[in-house]
Formats: sequence, C-alpha cells, structure tokens
Amino acid sequence: MSVDINKIPKEELQGGMPMFMDRDRVLEMKGIVKEYGEFKALKGVDFSVERGEIVTIIGPSGSGKSTLLRCINGLTIPTSGTVDLHGRTSMVFQHFNLFPHMTCLENIIYAPVKVLKVPKGEAETNAKQLLEMVGLSDKADAYPAQISGGQKQRIAIARSLAMKPDLMLFDEPTSALDPEIIGSVLGVMKELASEHMTMVVVTHEMGFARDVSDRTVFMADGEKLEEGTPEEIFENPKAERLKTFLASF
Amino acid sequence: MILQPLIENWQLLLEGTWMVIKLFTVTLLFALPLGLPIALGANSRIFPLRFLCQTYVWIFRGTPLLMQMFFFYFFIPINIGVAPTLFTTIAFTFALNYAAYFAEIYRGGINSIDRGQFEAAHSLGLSKWQTTKDIVLPQTMKAILPSIFNEVITLVKDTALAQTLGMMELMKVTYGIVNRTSVTTIFLYTAIIYLVLNLLITLVANRLEGHFKRYDAKEEF
Repeated sequence: MSVDINKIPKEELQGGMPMFMDRDRVLEMKGIVKEYGEFKALKGVDFSVERGEIVTIIGPSGSGKSTLLRCINGLTIPTSGTVDLHGRTSMVFQHFNLFPHMTCLENIIYAPVKVLKVPKGEAETNAKQLLEMVGLSDKADAYPAQISGGQKQRIAIARSLAMKPDLMLFDEPTSALDPEIIGSVLGVMKELASEHMTMVVVTHEMGFARDVSDRTVFMADGEKLEEGTPEEIFENPKAERLKTFLASF
Repeated sequence: MILQPLIENWQLLLEGTWMVIKLFTVTLLFALPLGLPIALGANSRIFPLRFLCQTYVWIFRGTPLLMQMFFFYFFIPINIGVAPTLFTTIAFTFALNYAAYFAEIYRGGINSIDRGQFEAAHSLGLSKWQTTKDIVLPQTMKAILPSIFNEVITLVKDTALAQTLGMMELMKVTYGIVNRTSVTTIFLYTAIIYLVLNLLITLVANRLEGHFKRYDAKEEF
C-alpha cells in the first residue's frame, strides 16, 4: 500500500516519525525467544499492534507477559526474534519509578526537555495540561515521597504521555496499588483508551481488559495461547488453560 | 599560665594549620572528581576498563599512604627526571590515594540505586550520561554523604603523615615546639585545632545532608 504524505497528520511528521509502507502497524514482533540459561521465558512469540489499538495481555504469573512487553522497548533483549518498532514508546511501571529527587512537574518535563529538546516553557505548559488530565494539578510542586501510590502512578502516566509516544506500554500498572485507589488509575487509562492512544497493557484487571481492549492476548508458559476480541476471550474461551485462568478470578 | 605556650607559639601553630588546610583542600579538589570516572570504570561492562579501575583501587587502598608518599617522592625525580615541590608530591599522592576511596563510595552509592530508576530513564529515552548525571548521581549523593564525610575527616588527620617527608604541617610544628620548649600543653592546643577543623567539616556535612533530604519528606498519607 502506498502512502500519500499529504494525508499524514502534520503532528506525526513533526514528531519525526519514520514513514513506512504499512504505516498503521506500530509494532511487529516475530518469533521472540527469551532464554535465561535453561529457562525459556518466551518460546517464539509473534505479536503486533496497529495504530490506535488497545491490546491487553493477560495470563498467570511467570507466563512471560511482562518479558514480552519489555522486549518491545529494549529493557529486555530477546535471545532471538525480530522487533520492528515504528515510532516512540513510553512505559508505565508497576512500581511507578518516579525520580524521587524531582518534583512531579520536574518528573514530567525532564525527558521532553532533555530528550526531545522541547523548550522548557512549552514543556511546562504541556505538563500542566497533563497534570490536569490526571487530576493532580495541585501536586505539581510535590515530591513523589509526598503523594500516595495511586497519585504516583497517575504522575508516571503523565510523565510517559509527555513524551508524546506512538505506543504506551503498561506493565501491571495497578498491581502495587491498594484496591480502593486502583479505580483512579484505571480511570485515567480508560480516558486514554477513549482517545485511541495506542496501548499495550499487561494487567490482572480482568474487568478493565474486558471493557477497554480491542484485542486481548492470553499467555501461559512463554507462549501466546489465545488471542481475540474481549468477547472471544472472556465469553467464549477455547484453551483449557484460559478457562482455568479465568475461573480463578 | 596555661595560655602562655599558646601566646608564644600561635604563629607557628597557625602556619602548621594553614599547611593542613592547604593540603586538605587541594587533595579534595582533585580526589573528589577523580573518584567518579574510576567508580564508573570499575562498574563498566568493558573488561579492560573495569580491570584498570579495579586494579587502581586495589593498589591505592591496598598499600599504606605513607609508602605511596615515599614512592612518589623518590620515583618522580629519579625516573621521570622532574623535581616537583614537596607540597606537589604530597598533594599528588594524597589525591590519588583518596580518589580510590571516594571511587568505592561512589560505586556503592550507584549500585544502591533501584533498578527501576534505570529502567524508567531508559524507557524515556535518556542517554547513559543523562541517566548518570541527572538521575543516578543526585540520588546517590544523599546516600553517600555520611561515608564521604567519614573520609574527609580522616583526611584532616592523615595530613599529619606529611611530616615524614618534612612538610611543616601542624603535627611537625607541634613536635618542634615541644622539643624546643619541653612544654607539653601544646599538644592540647593542637588537638583543639584538629577538633575545630573537624567540627567545621561536620557542620558543612549537616548542612548538605539537610539540602539533600528535601525530597525525602515524610509521606503525607
């Protein structure tokens, strides 16, 4: 398929996004294997994401879902397989990983200013909009140690968004949070989903996966066992492992 | 009167103290920055670099500072053919020696930083240098400050070693006065001078610790 350069939104061109024949595919991974000595964390997984798509990855602990996610942005280097990434990624972690020596605002503007060379004033204006979006405008000058876990994760999401990523990666973003504050983080993520931010979410929140995903991937023992729309996965699971897994919730 | 020896010898003591301060300052000025590349090198994945930096630390921590001083005192003029001043030789040795200790403190601090910080930096696209400079080192500072100041205080006292090569620092001056006058209370005044110097350093340490503690505020929730 050929691409008419004039039809690509201007923002994307300014973001320095390389153009590809198949411009709607943000990520294509083929035959991803990850071995830790004898242990095979991933046994040859194919995985791709289209622009605007929201993909959730579910599965039991140790199934390789976080490893797969980390292979996308190079935090983990696959033993073999290819990762074809078109654009920028940004990751939200289970343990937030905010920079404790910076205020919330500084956390958000640091990378845009230093990496994307956005002028500081512009980065701050952006950051303030993001803080408003995650409902934490009053915490701009607070240090991470001064805010709650749920608030930290919302700041971490704002920090990731500030990089204007083509693909957002979420690695169990609510697993370290108390049940009563998970909702606030999922709320922000749902808002992003409604704006069709391209996302890959590794999660144990089955309700979220069912409501928000365009596609859900079920992994077990380093393999992709089943993949489909939330309806197919949650209402009509085929693999025995998936049935057992869903029954455990 | 107990103050008599002080009144008679204060100028000598002051000169000795000045030498202590000079050696102390020059050593820190070079050793504190020099420790950083050694620490980064000792942590490096590049084997020759790691080997070099670890060997450096091994040698300078593994032999007496006094011996190193004698070594450079004779080695430099005889084998390199230049004759630096006594102060330069001693300060040079002190700086190399203390850099090894600071390197290990820095390395410990860097290794204590949570892996998540490196991962966050990577996922935001920061370069290795940006990560080291703006994410890791500022967080390291808080953790390593007490160890650094331990060494700094040791340094004040180690300056007394310089007398063995004949530098007129505080300890040598004190001996001289005692030998000449047989008045031993001068030791008391010298002790007080060392204590005052280290008190000042402790005050600076406390100020700095307060500065780095600002982001470590008590949780509000």
